[in-house]
Formats: sequence, C-alpha cells, structure tokens
Amino acid sequence: MKLNKATFVDGYNNFIRFFKEFSFRKLWNNTKTFFSKPANIILVVFSIILIAGVIYPLISLFFDSFTVQSLSEAKELNETWDLSLQKGDLTWALWANILFNKTNMDFSINYFWQPLGLSIVMAICACLIAVLAGGILAFFITRTNLPFKKFISTVFVFPYIMPSWSIAMFWENFFKNSNISACNFQVGMLQAMTGICVPEWMLYGIFPCAMVLGIHYAPFAYILIGGILRNMDANLEEAATILKASRFKIIRRITLPIVAPALISTVLLVFASSISSYTVPAFLNANNSFTSISISMRGLMVMAGKKGMGYVVAIILLIFSVIILAINNSLTKSRRSFTTVSGKSGQISKIKIGTGKLSWLKWVVGTVIIILVAFFAVFPLITFILESLEENPGDITTITFKYWISPESFDVRIENQGQSAAGVFHNFTIWKAFGRSVLVAVIVALIAGTFGILIGYAVSKNRHSKLANFVSSTAFLPYLIPALSFGAIFFSLSFVDGFRWLNVSTTNNEWSAVAICILAGGIKFLPFASRSGTNAMLQLSGEIEEAAILTNCPWWKRMVRILFPIQKSSFISCYLLPFISCMRELTLFVLITSSFSLITNVLQYFDSYGLNQISNAINLLIVLFVIVVNLLVNKLTGASIDKGIGG
Amino acid sequence: MPKIELINVTKKWGKFIAVNDLNMVIDDRSFITLLGPSGCGKTTTLRMIAGLETPTSGKIIIGDRVVFDSDKGINISPAKRNVGFLFQNYALWPHMTVYKNIAFGLENLKWKKDQIQKRVQEVMQMLKIEQYKDRYPAELSGGQQQRVAIARTLAPKPEVLFMDEPLSNLDAKLRGEMRTELKRLHSDTNSTFVYVTHDQLEAMTLATKICLMNDGVLQQYDKPLDVYSNPANLFVADFVGNPTMNFIPATAKKTSTGISLDMFGIKAKFNPKNEIKSIGKDVVIGVRPEFLNISPNGKLSGLAYSTLPAGMETTVKINLKGDILSAVQFGLIDYKTDEEIKFDISGDGIVLFDKESGKSLSLGSIEILK
Repeated sequence: MKLNKATFVDGYNNFIRFFKEFSFRKLWNNTKTFFSKPANIILVVFSIILIAGVIYPLISLFFDSFTVQSLSEAKELNETWDLSLQKGDLTWALWANILFNKTNMDFSINYFWQPLGLSIVMAICACLIAVLAGGILAFFITRTNLPFKKFISTVFVFPYIMPSWSIAMFWENFFKNSNISACNFQVGMLQAMTGICVPEWMLYGIFPCAMVLGIHYAPFAYILIGGILRNMDANLEEAATILKASRFKIIRRITLPIVAPALISTVLLVFASSISSYTVPAFLNANNSFTSISISMRGLMVMAGKKGMGYVVAIILLIFSVIILAINNSLTKSRRSFTTVSGKSGQISKIKIGTGKLSWLKWVVGTVIIILVAFFAVFPLITFILESLEENPGDITTITFKYWISPESFDVRIENQGQSAAGVFHNFTIWKAFGRSVLVAVIVALIAGTFGILIGYAVSKNRHSKLANFVSSTAFLPYLIPALSFGAIFFSLSFVDGFRWLNVSTTNNEWSAVAICILAGGIKFLPFASRSGTNAMLQLSGEIEEAAILTNCPWWKRMVRILFPIQKSSFISCYLLPFISCMRELTLFVLITSSFSLITNVLQYFDSYGLNQISNAINLLIVLFVIVVNLLVNKLTGASIDKGIGG
Repeated sequence: MPKIELINVTKKWGKFIAVNDLNMVIDDRSFITLLGPSGCGKTTTLRMIAGLETPTSGKIIIGDRVVFDSDKGINISPAKRNVGFLFQNYALWPHMTVYKNIAFGLENLKWKKDQIQKRVQEVMQMLKIEQYKDRYPAELSGGQQQRVAIARTLAPKPEVLFMDEPLSNLDAKLRGEMRTELKRLHSDTNSTFVYVTHDQLEAMTLATKICLMNDGVLQQYDKPLDVYSNPANLFVADFVGNPTMNFIPATAKKTSTGISLDMFGIKAKFNPKNEIKSIGKDVVIGVRPEFLNISPNGKLSGLAYSTLPAGMETTVKINLKGDILSAVQFGLIDYKTDEEIKFDISGDGIVLFDKESGKSLSLGSIEILK
C-alpha cells in the first residue's frame, strides 16, 4: 500500500467515524448477536479451555526448562558454571549443562547426543518399515484382486490397536533364548520350536525397537495411504489407460505421485511418534544396551537434581515434532497436494495377480500375506496366552494355570509394598488398576470425543473466522507434543501450588493419578477427535441444520436428533479413538502415575520384577479388551478407528 | 396476513458488500422473485429475511412485528418468524422417513399427536406423496424429494414461504411441471411466496413482482411485464428477455419536436412518451427483437448474419453496419447468409438510455428520417 496524504486522511476519518458511531448499546447488541449462536459460545469456551489446557502448560514447561528446580540442581549448576543461583531462579545453565557440559562432556554425550542420534536412526528405520509394509499392503488391497481382503484388512489393524509395547513383549517372548543372560536364559518360542538362538542384538537394542515400532505403525500407514488410494478418482487412472499407458507406468507416473503427499505425511507422523516413543525402548532395553532419548529424559526427570535438564530435553523433543509437523503442513497445503477425493469415483479395474495358467499365483500371494499379517497380529496373542501358562518359559510341558487362579503370592517383595502378587484372578492390584484404566479411558473418551464434536461443529459453522482457526489449530497442537513431553508438562504442573493434589507421589492417593490422567488424556487425545469431528461436520451441508432451525428445534435437539444420527459412525469414531488410545497408553502417563495406578503401570511393574507369566497375562487382558471393544463398536455402529484417522 | 418490509438492509462480509442498502416492500399474498446473476446477493437477501443470516445493518419487518433492527438490537430467531424455507438441495434429513421428515417440525412446534397425523396426511395428499410415506429420502427420485421438501415446508402452515432456487436440481421437463404446480400452490395456500432464481423465464412466468438485483444493489422492483417492457437501466434490459434486447449506440440532440438521433449515420427522430428534461450527447437505443419488423418496404437495410429457426418463431440476426441485431419473426423464415434484409423499428416500446449512467430516459417510438 502506498502511503500518501489520502491514506492518512482516510485513516483519520475512519478513526473519527469509529468514535462517533461507537456506543455501548451497539457493542452490547453486537455481543448479544454474537452469543446468540451456539457455535460462537462453543468457540469462546474452547478458546479459554485450550489456552488453559494447552498453551499455558506449554509456556510453563518452557519456563521450567529455564528455571532452577531444586537445591541440589542449584548446587550442581553453581559449581559447574561459577554461578550463584538459588532454587527458582531463571537461568540458561540448564540448557548449557545438558547440551555442552563444561566439566563432564561425557555426561552430555551419554544423556543427550548419543540417545538423540540413536533415536533418530531408530525412528527413520521404523518409518521405512511402516511405510513399506503399510503402503504395499494398501496397494494390494485397493488395487489388485488379492483374495482374503476382508480378513487381511481387519486383522492388519490389530498391531495399531494393540499397545506398542505388547508387540515388544511378543518380540521378547518369541526371540529370547538360552544364550542371552539379559532374559535370564529363558527359552522363547522360536528356540522351543526350531532350536534357533538369535544373537542378543536381535532381541534387545535399537534393531528390535525399530522393528517393533515399524510394525506398530504399519497399519497407520496402511490406513492413511489406503484411504487416499480408495478415494482417488478412478478417472485419473482410467484417463491414463485410455492414453495407452502401461499398468506399471500408471502406477509410477500417476498413482505414486498422487499418493506422495500421503506417503510423506505418514513418514513424518510415524517419525514424530517413534522418536519420542518411551515404552518400546523401555521393554527392549536390557542391560542399558540402548538408551533412547525418551528413556534418558525420564531418567533425568526422576533423578534427584536433574529434573530441569529433563524439561530441556522435553522442549527439544517438542521442537523436533513441531518442525516435522510444520514441514508436513506446508507439504500437504502446497499446490500439488490436490486431495484426490472426488464424489464420482467409479470402480477401477483391478490388477490381476497371475493370469491364465498362473492364476494360482494370487492364492499364493494371498496366503503369504495372511501368514505375515497373522504373525504380527494374531501370533502375539498366542504367545501371551502360552507365556502366561508356562512355568518355564518356552517349555510347553510345564503348563500350569496357577498364575491365573492361584490365591497365593508369587513374590514377597511385592507383598511387602502392600500390593498383591497373587494369580491374576485373585490379584486386587491388577483389577483395581484395570478398573481405574477403564474409568480413565471412558472419561477421557467422553471428554475428548464430545469436545471434538463440539469443536467440529463450531469450526464448520465459522470456517473463515480467526477464532475458529485458532481453536481448531490449538486443538490439534497436543498431537505435535510428544507423549512424554506432554506427560512432563502435567508432571511439572503437579508441583505447582494449587495443583499438588494431582501429584500421586506426594498425595499417595491413586485418585490423584486418575484425575491428572483424565486431564492429560482428555487434552492429548483431542486432536484426532476434533479432526474427525470437523470432517464429519463439514460433510453435512449447513442447510440440514437450518431446515431444523426453522421448525423451532432447539440447539441440543438439533445435535441429538439431526446431526448426530446422520453422521453417527463418524462421531462414534470420535469417541472410540481416544478410548482405545487411552486404554493402551503408558508413555503419556508414566511420569504422572505411580507403579500401581493404571493397568499399564502394573504390567510394567510385574515385568520389572520378572513375573513374566503375570505380565503376559495382563498384556493379554489389555489387548483382548481393546480388540473386543473395537470389534464390538465396529459391528454395532459401523464406526471404526480407521474412519477417525483416515479423515 | 403479513407484509414484509426491508429498510436500509446491508450485509457485509469483511470488505465485501453482499447486499447494499436494500429497501423493499413485499405485499401480502404476492409472489415475489428475487432475480439476478449468481453472486448478486439474492440468496443472502432471502436468508436475511428468514433469519438464517444476520444483516450488518438495517431493519426488517414481517407483518407488524420488527424481526430485525440493528439499532435496537432486535434479532428474532428464524423459528419465531413463522416462515417456511425451501432449500435448493432440499435438505431432507436422510435418517428420517418421509413421514418423519414432515412431522418433525410439527413436533417441535408442540402440536398434538392426532393433529400432526392429520396435517401430515393432508400435505402428503396435496403433494401426492402418500405412497412414499415410509420411504427414506435416498429411495426417492429428485422430483419426489422436491415434493417431500415442499410438504415439509408447508406442514406448519407458514405465512411466508421462502424458496431458494428450488427447481434448479430438476431436469427441464420436471422443472416445467413443478413451475405450474408452484403457481397453483401459491393460490391454494394463500400465503406470501418469496422465490430466488437466476432463471429469468422462471421469474417472468411465476412472479407477481420481480426484484432484480446486481452486485448487491436493487436494480428494479416491478411487475414482470414492466420489467420487460420498461427496464429501468441497461443492466435490467440486458438481463431480461431472450433473445436479449438490441442496443444501438447513437448520438442525440434535443429539438423542439423531440430528439434527433444519429445511429451510424442514419438520421432518426425519437418521440418520447414522457418529457425528457436534459439529455447527454451519447445515448443507447434499446429495441426488443419483436420491434424489429422485417418487411420489403423497410427503411433500414442490413445483411443476414444467420437465421435461427425454432419452430414457432425464427430469430434472424441482422448485420447493421457491423452491429449484430436480433429480430424475432413469427413462423419459419430462412435467409441466405449475407442476403439483404429490409426492416423497420416499429412500435412505441423503444427505450432510450443515457449511455453514461445507463439509466432509462424514456419510452417512445422512432421515426427513420433517412
């Protein structure tokens, strides 16, 4: 804009007009009109909730990383950097201490640089595995005449529904052998069946971590890429067929470039999730063979006098994710990210695997895929059952039901802590924790799902308003924050006066843990719920609601009688996704719970005491529970988690 | 029974002005069409009257009740305005049967059960959709869905019925049928209809009054035939009528007996019906195609550009010194390309426009002087 006299005169006149026309009455009228729309009320309420629940904690974590957390910390920092800091002082020294420690550079290398480097390598490998496995399967399912499609696509999602560490436990169950001391020379399934003993690096360390994370996220890649392939306008490929492009050329020149944004998106999202994954490295890290950045961070946070540095690592992980998601957003928003969804998509002709005499080939391919899928999706369940029944792991002759039914204790140390170490059916520690987990998951699902739908409603009604943009992007922000950093935010919050009742380590009351988990979970699992809520609402034309407004239908009734029934399955997905994620979550909760708060804590607890049978039994419980709930909801309502993510 | 009044109604989205200072009175029991090209603000106007959109400023009165007043902060919700609204895509609720769709509104208005049943039966009979009672919208054809949507809108007996391009999703034949029925419905239901369309034929045939808009500004608000024969400005003249009006640029000079014109060197005299006080140099003469009279003794002569016979009438395009004019003749005629055609400008329905402002100066007749 050119600045000249006219501009100023114009500006001045506007200014004067504003004051002349300004009146409180008008302001009041405008406010009244604004708040007469439920969508606007929702936006205002949620912008407050999200500022309190997302922005404030983020800022507070950021300041914590610059604040001396304890006396011992102050002492260490003062000695290292010649300072005279008190507890509570603002300082840059925490960052300097963890990144470039002056007196002990090995400390920086061991606690930060090396774990970070290894974690990056692990995350990259996990990405490759997930995208290759998920992408290839998505292609087979949507573009070929592969047999058993329905079964494969149902079962393939299991590893994503299962907690990631349950796959880690399966990995351990399967590969452990009598040559490795870290697993107490227990015999795993592979050795029991074939006698093969794998070397230790295949069982513990970075390789299995990458494999397990890759397997866990492969269904995620499958859902994202498959969604695009399925919705892709068949005409695009048909046009190429008519122009005489070969099948292979079509894939290379048309299909792949079109799914490329989804591919890149998957890579980045899997990378962001795996780099900060805590549970998988925690299970597959015997003898500290592989310290991931998340393990190092947790170590710092619970170590005396190192908490501040833990916060620094949390912030760094967070910055990583933000950068990755910023890249993702700029890629998917760019010109070439033509979302391929178009209404009029015919059935594309499927590639035939093996024609003529080779028609048996598709059965072979189908069978191979089924076996592979079953190995990672169904086999883990079998090993959990077996491991919970075998007195001597891997030895089928020693099957006993005592770890399920015995009322006697199996470990005095656990007994001494006031907890139960009896068989699963008699174990109050397990069932109380299980109950608390279900309670947390249900409440979190209700909160996140309802919030997501409301946000979706309000955003879809005010698509271009700044407030709506703010709410929808802030609601997605928790996704950017690694679960462990997010946990750290609430962990640091629970040391603030007024919030101490949320700190289970000081109150010694498990309900504190339940409360803080509901808070953390309700916000952490909001992103997908609000995304799918918004998508579902955007699919409904505004007129559907307006037609009801005209008949004097009150707002709540419009939601319950009109909008909800029409988009029933999408909205139920809004609830299902947070429920499942919450039920199997450990990373997010590990800092803010005690060892007995939730079922996932208890599992890790029994595992750390070497009560393998019981921890496998718990694992089986969780996995079965989640899968059964998912299938039930899917059968009853048609909702499924892939609808939530795919949207 | 209600009369609808719009006083200085304006709607802005940021800097974009959708409707600018609109003043209009819709008489009781009239059938008004809001006509204009897409994006001219007609749907916004309709939605503001219905209460689905909030005007930036102005006042709206339905009957003797102020339903919106920006100064006093009055904004009555759409449900309390006692209006019906028929959406372009019908907005039928896909999860309810035809019966439920119609009954839902009555339930919200707290009607008694037997009354609801009776009324739903009544409107279903009126629109001949009783046999589809238990079907879902997805199981109906476009025309049937349309009828259900009308039935749903009519059920609560609204005093005013708003329709937003209700026929645009139907095929040409069905559209014709529904037009007839809407007009019939208007006289049967005894209520006020406000109808949005971009189809001038629809507006001409249905309305008792047309409100023609462009760029958010009211252009003309008149009876259909007045809009057609006495357009207020060049935009209206051009928008209404098919084939469109011929516009012949000319220079004008006021004389004692009338106005002398010069069209491409052809001298003519314009006899205005009403007195013209002042006139600019440049004018545009608007001639409806039916006033270009082809005859062997015509004083004007042009070349046949092309001939478009449509059965009942034929449109002849005449090249008059580079300007292409359309003439409509009854019956089938055929001219060879570039054949000479003699014609006259006849009748007293010729419009003289001021070129600069585009405004109509007067109706009148033209004499060719040679």
